[in-house]
Amino acid sequence: MATIALSSQEAQNPLANVVRYLPGVLLLAAIGFAGKLLEQSINGYAKAHHLIIPNIEYVLWAIAIGLLIANTLTIPKIFLPGIGTYEFWLKAGIVLLGARFVVGDVLKLGGISIGLVVLEISGSLLLMTALGRLFKLRPKLTTLLAIGSAVCGVSAIIAAKGAIDADDEDSSFAIAAILALGAIALVTFPLIGHALHLSDNAYGLWSGLAVDNTAESIAAGALFSDAAGKVAVLAKTARNATIGFVVLGYAIYWAGRGQAEKVKNKGAFLWNKFPKFVLGFLVISLLVSVHAFNKEQVGSLANLSRWAFLLTFAGVGLRTNIREMLKQGVRPFIVGALGEVLIAGLTLGLVVGANALWKL
Amino acid sequence: MSDEKPVTQPVTYLVTPVTRLGLSLDVWAVLTSLLLALLVRVGVLKHIPW
Repeated sequence: MATIALSSQEAQNPLANVVRYLPGVLLLAAIGFAGKLLEQSINGYAKAHHLIIPNIEYVLWAIAIGLLIANTLTIPKIFLPGIGTYEFWLKAGIVLLGARFVVGDVLKLGGISIGLVVLEISGSLLLMTALGRLFKLRPKLTTLLAIGSAVCGVSAIIAAKGAIDADDEDSSFAIAAILALGAIALVTFPLIGHALHLSDNAYGLWSGLAVDNTAESIAAGALFSDAAGKVAVLAKTARNATIGFVVLGYAIYWAGRGQAEKVKNKGAFLWNKFPKFVLGFLVISLLVSVHAFNKEQVGSLANLSRWAFLLTFAGVGLRTNIREMLKQGVRPFIVGALGEVLIAGLTLGLVVGANALWKL
Repeated sequence: MSDEKPVTQPVTYLVTPVTRLGLSLDVWAVLTSLLLALLVRVGVLKHIPW
């Protein structure tokens, strides 16, 4: 895996950082904006010519253009640092999306989400562990796949890698499997959601619970509808908030077997692993709930969040290199795929049950 | 595990968070978002279109 680190000299010089990141960020913006223009142009053409064409959201165009570039061209190195910032835009987008939730929404949908997240995580960890043993995967690779599919994809795998002393090869296998399955979910989830006539809330909840990587989870939600994308963010954020507890549990397990360092300060460990953007999301939501912003300002914050996600979705396409994923080996992918299908079924059942109980 | 080949190529791009101030990527994202929210609140940023 490529980790683009800053040299100490560059870290000292903010201008050097801007120059370093700017080309890739501009590329993300150009791809995202091209996706938005394509959506608008096609819709405008269809309207002008009285054609009935299904609306293809900018999300799909941005991902598709990114995928096409990443898999047909060699991206010059100058763009790579900026492309990597898609994670930053993702998190900033989530924080700003807090403007579209008043605390009441967060408590209602978030409360349901947390209950379902606990069931989803327990089921996913058990399923992936059983499948890993059945297919005789290395135990730490199984742990990484279980954490990645139960909590939040790549971030969880990276967080767990250090905590359980997993090797680079295992984490690369796990990341490749999670990313490949996320790419498949982008296509399959909206189709299944429409086929089952799920409501925006039910589909968003399902997407937030079942799709592993945060960017793909939110993209899968937004591909269904804007409202579903919003709910997917909430469910996924609730899931992300558990990362520290799950990783801590596995760190203690592997330390007990003498195969990882002991966790000295559990409180500090939990805080260190806790995704801080969850707090940012809650702060913005709280500020909106106490009317710290007027209606127009709330609209501006929501639009800033959309622009941040636009860059994120372009990054999702650009960093998905299908050829590299295929090189990672078949077995972890099969285990991941089997697990994901079962988890998708389990979470769909949970969401349908919750929908029947609480009319989502 | 003959079907699992060692990784020789990058599978994803990750940016090591800027650590000059010892802050993680998450914290930078939160601070940037809060700053943007403040700029919207005091009227420096207005009418953000979509």
